[in-house]
Amino acid sequence: MSLDTATPAGPGSPAGQPARQPSPSAVTKADIAKAGATRRRNAAKWKLIVGTICTLLVMIPIILAQELPLPDANFQDLSARRLPPLTDGHLFGTDQLGRDLLSRVLHGGQVSLTIGVLAVLVSGAIGIILGAAAGYFGGWVDTVVSRVLEAQMSLPLLMMLLLVVALFGPSIPVITFVIAIAQWPEVARLTRSMVLVEREKPYVSAARILGLHRVQILIQHIIPNVIKQATLVVLLLLAQAVLLESALSFLGAGPQRPFATWGRIISDGQDYITTSWWMVTLPGLVIVLMVVGVNLLGDGLRDRPRRKKKGA
Amino acid sequence: MTNYILKRLGQGLLTVFLTVSTVFILIRMAPGDPAVSYAGPLATTEQLDAVREQFGLNKPVLEQYWIFLQQLFTGNLGQSYSFQAPAMVVVAERMPYTLTLATAAILLTAVVAIPLGVWMSRRPDTGREFGVNVLTIAGQSMPDFWTGIMLLTGFAVLIPIFPASGFATWGGLVLPTITIAILQIALISRMVRREMTANFAAPYLTVARSRGVRNSMLTWRYAMGNSAIPVFTALGTRFAAMLNGVVVVEVVFAWPGVGSLIVRALETRDYPLIQATVLLTALLAVGVQLLIDLAYPLLDPRVRLGKAATA
Repeated sequence: MSLDTATPAGPGSPAGQPARQPSPSAVTKADIAKAGATRRRNAAKWKLIVGTICTLLVMIPIILAQELPLPDANFQDLSARRLPPLTDGHLFGTDQLGRDLLSRVLHGGQVSLTIGVLAVLVSGAIGIILGAAAGYFGGWVDTVVSRVLEAQMSLPLLMMLLLVVALFGPSIPVITFVIAIAQWPEVARLTRSMVLVEREKPYVSAARILGLHRVQILIQHIIPNVIKQATLVVLLLLAQAVLLESALSFLGAGPQRPFATWGRIISDGQDYITTSWWMVTLPGLVIVLMVVGVNLLGDGLRDRPRRKKKGA
Repeated sequence: MTNYILKRLGQGLLTVFLTVSTVFILIRMAPGDPAVSYAGPLATTEQLDAVREQFGLNKPVLEQYWIFLQQLFTGNLGQSYSFQAPAMVVVAERMPYTLTLATAAILLTAVVAIPLGVWMSRRPDTGREFGVNVLTIAGQSMPDFWTGIMLLTGFAVLIPIFPASGFATWGGLVLPTITIAILQIALISRMVRREMTANFAAPYLTVARSRGVRNSMLTWRYAMGNSAIPVFTALGTRFAAMLNGVVVVEVVFAWPGVGSLIVRALETRDYPLIQATVLLTALLAVGVQLLIDLAYPLLDPRVRLGKAATA
């Protein structure tokens, strides 16, 4: 959250606004191009571009998995076991049961992504509502929410997730819920701290003097002011959710139907790693590509210089 | 000071108590019968009843909870179903392995991440810094089980430098430690960079620089001194979390620690073992957390424990 204003620019060269009209300033275009603020803006731009490319590179095939000319993900062909990549039209090769690996990865990815997106939506909603309520109302609401947050931070997280999944069965709703529960504290804490700042601003007093109800002020005036930053965190949580889901499914606590998800595919291939490297390496690379993409996107959006509102 | 410690101890014990109680309730709420998994699918009704009788599973839940509480205070959580030994003993035997792994991983993280973060914060927004920045993003984007398998294949199978699994020699410690540290280094170094950048921008640093304080002093004594608490907290919290079992990495490397134990306990629905694992790891984690808080005044003389600042 630091707005680092100190730049390593040379002495006497204010790295700020580019001069519009010819002025007696000693700052040349070259100075501006070298200035810290410019480089920071460029870095954010590159992160956004590369992040978008990586994310789309994984997302688009996953979304189109049904449309692509691929064999069924669960279709076994025992005569075509463990074919290396690029043979017989199997771009990623096949696994130990002759299933097309690319098809498995894409269809599994649909399940992983669905879980990730749903989990993030649920945790985002819980986090924003509870965090905003805690920050705005204070008092016992704040005490309860903060205590629950603290308690959850000190719980053994993955162990609890495994426990719940092991006990209630690895169905998609259970896993989604479990990941959402694991993630809401981060959103709640951030929202709470931002609302604490917002509620002291004059517009809140103004709204209160105008006779608006407290809930109305919170929903109509405060939340719209913090929602943008809160959604940024939610984007970063998507990356974590995908990783968490793959870890669960690697440990055997992932959904089995309709398709095995990424972690499961990797743990399936683990036994064949010495003879069939692709069965572990390629699905893993797909996860990395996707998560790196989402993380870069989130980073880039956060670092991007804030645009001024038009007409303001 | 003593009051503060007592208060924190009380809070910590309450957290542990709530944790084990939550687990107790979750276990009883869940579908599935441990007697079936203990006696096997072919067991007769009489056999199942005998098993339930033996483990006290036929009693009302509240009475079971009461018994559980009594066990909790005597420190004896009953026999593990699958190990046929006191559950606490089984867990306690595994604990040193997890402790060793967690300690090694956190040391490696600290040694690499702090200098790396400082390095990044001293040349922000340069090409090289951007490259390292992207590397740290990659580091926190790799699933640890995948990194583990890749390292295992690379350095234990293809180039057999290190043993592939278990903890027979100290060499077995290397690969799991690196696997954990990759993620932690990425997270911690980014945090060090953030803290240091904020401090470099602070007015007190400009004043110190204008008084002619050397750059190395500025970095390590001034900026680092003020970043120490958040960084130390982050390292400590990560360490405490690892004590709960580095589940995934332990499974990949067949590490005989608590993490792989809990996976097995969950598979066999070994209730006493689950409870014992949760109890011991939660106790340890809370203890570490308390030690971190107690170390604050050493890092920052302004901190007075028990006063409003740390409350």
